[in-house]
Amino acid sequence: MRSLKLRFGLALVLVMAMAVVTACGKGGGGDEESGVQDGKLKLGAALSLTGSLAKEGALTKQGYQLCQEKVNARGGVNVGGKKAKLAITYSDDKSEPDTAARLIDQFNDDGVKLTLGPYGSPSTEAAAAAVERNGQVMVDSSGADDNIFTKGYKNTFAVLSPATEYVAIIVDSIMNGATPKPKTVAFLSADDGFSQTAAKGGVAEAEKQGLQVVAQESFPEHTTDVSSALTKVRGKNPDLILGSVHVEEGIAIVKQSAELGVKPQGFGETVAPPTPDFSKALGDSANGVVGSTQWTPQVKGQDEIFGTAQDYAADFKKRFSADAEYHSAEGAAACLALVLAVEKAGSADSSKVRDALAGLDTESFFGPITFDDTGKNVTKPMSAIQIQNGKVTTIYPEDQAEAKLQWPGTGG
Amino acid sequence: MSEFLQATVYGLLEGGLLALVAVGFSLVWGVMNIVNLAHGAFVVTGAYIAWKLNTEMGLDPYLGMFVCAGALFLAGYAIQRLLINQVVNAPIWMTLLLTFGLDLLIVQGLQLLFTADFRSINTSWGTDGFAIGDVRVPYGRLAGFGLAVAVTVALVWFMTRTRSGLAIRMTGMDRAAARLMGVHVRHVYALTFGLSAALAAMAGAILGSINTFSPSAAGGFTLQSFVIAVLGGLGNMWGALAGGILLGLVQAWSGQYLSGTLVNAIAFGVLVLVLIVRPTGLIGRPYYEARAEA
Repeated sequence: MRSLKLRFGLALVLVMAMAVVTACGKGGGGDEESGVQDGKLKLGAALSLTGSLAKEGALTKQGYQLCQEKVNARGGVNVGGKKAKLAITYSDDKSEPDTAARLIDQFNDDGVKLTLGPYGSPSTEAAAAAVERNGQVMVDSSGADDNIFTKGYKNTFAVLSPATEYVAIIVDSIMNGATPKPKTVAFLSADDGFSQTAAKGGVAEAEKQGLQVVAQESFPEHTTDVSSALTKVRGKNPDLILGSVHVEEGIAIVKQSAELGVKPQGFGETVAPPTPDFSKALGDSANGVVGSTQWTPQVKGQDEIFGTAQDYAADFKKRFSADAEYHSAEGAAACLALVLAVEKAGSADSSKVRDALAGLDTESFFGPITFDDTGKNVTKPMSAIQIQNGKVTTIYPEDQAEAKLQWPGTGG
Repeated sequence: MSEFLQATVYGLLEGGLLALVAVGFSLVWGVMNIVNLAHGAFVVTGAYIAWKLNTEMGLDPYLGMFVCAGALFLAGYAIQRLLINQVVNAPIWMTLLLTFGLDLLIVQGLQLLFTADFRSINTSWGTDGFAIGDVRVPYGRLAGFGLAVAVTVALVWFMTRTRSGLAIRMTGMDRAAARLMGVHVRHVYALTFGLSAALAAMAGAILGSINTFSPSAAGGFTLQSFVIAVLGGLGNMWGALAGGILLGLVQAWSGQYLSGTLVNAIAFGVLVLVLIVRPTGLIGRPYYEARAEA
């Protein structure tokens, strides 16, 4: 009997350990009403701190953190003449959309009406529904899928360019700078909503530019095996392979193309190449791959909190000892938009802040921020980059370019 | 035709890699009736050790994998002896809960240590290959496949020709009788678990050089192992290899001839089909009878 007790005791300890692990990162909240309390302006953010999107979630959080620190270093947010310190509460959505929505409800129960977006389109979509239901306000930092903006939501505003631009900007940059110009293109896409929307935008742009689309293949999101799609594409010998993908699939396309002897003039991939992991994981074979990004340190424009994009990059480097990249910039820009809206509204009341956001029209380190009726930031252009000598180098639009496109991207 | 051959070769090689991941999982399930939900975490741990050895000391993953195997063998032995042995007689959900907790702890630990960045071990030769006609055979995957076959052959030899192997099988068949014959059951269980963890770590090292990995990949490896173990059948050391190759081929062919987004659905469909036609898996004993002693 004793040993049985011991065993159950041990099991209990383990269950508790698990509970601690899964619960860590879950923030507490007060039971105040919305708005400023004890000189603090409370914002809520449900972020992927663990799970499959932990990496991107952590980057987004850095953007939110930097924003909070910069705003508070300046004295805080001016709410109707009174300064309030910015206080962001983080909760872990475990990379699960359902959890993100539940955490938004929890923020609402705790009286937190102003929220910053979770990471990624699926979580943002789920959160946006909850935000709308509860009459909260959310500034979306990373959900670009059309699904978020076609439901008639009034309380969600996205600072980033919409999904349809992600592949289109790559097509633009290559057709603008490449000699010889590619004639045929194959599209490879992950099967999630965001990637599919991005691929569709790319196909439309390619056809507009006179490229012949020879293949459109899809594979499961976050797979590390894209060999079937590449085998099918290989016979068609495309000049250009464009991937609407995440980091894992993006790396797999380049690796497995080498394995399978698929040799286009160049590769273009949406969100993978700008992340530092891409070059680290691929080494030399990352060189020449073109990618698209929401932000580079060469973006024009400035604002009162972060200054220029270069200033932002320098501050980020000082604070986190890492190069600034676009996920965190999106986070910082979302936080910036919310802060500016609160100051403009002169109140932290959610409906007033919503109206202020709808009317916001400002320059920033992230580029212009203005929202259309659906809440999309349609005025901001995306940027195209290319990995050159292992470095992420901005190549397009021309007013931001650090270097010209090197073509053929695969070196020959 | 060349597309079919290419898909087949690739599926075969991928199947070898899948088998390598699953062989240890199948062993522990077959012998100890423990569904080790932390198996994927062991695989990822192996990948990180190999990655560290490669980036810090330039060690090729095919050498590094022996270090990984050694380290994880010791860890696995200790985990079984100190933790899992406490609940080995308890209902199955208890071991599930325990290994699930272990999985969470290891995955979160890896994330704290190495962050959630995607990693890959770069070898100078991994993506090179040779061609037979139109069909490309990459060296990295071929080596992985060869290793899977070698590991399986070695495991069969170990289980049928050595005293330790016989003791493991004997304990799996009838623990009470084994104990009466003088087999030190706790040691044998720990040995089995250590062996399984070592095989997982080797698989991780090799996969790390072929694919990308991050701590959150662990769950996927466990799920794959589960499917392959059931598909191949338990209680037979060849089962994982058979199951892995079947799964690899099915995935490659379905990706080639049906929609690429359906591969997972079709893989699980095949699992259901195999279980209907052959409830024992391809070459195994029925999983609910894998142990003689209930």
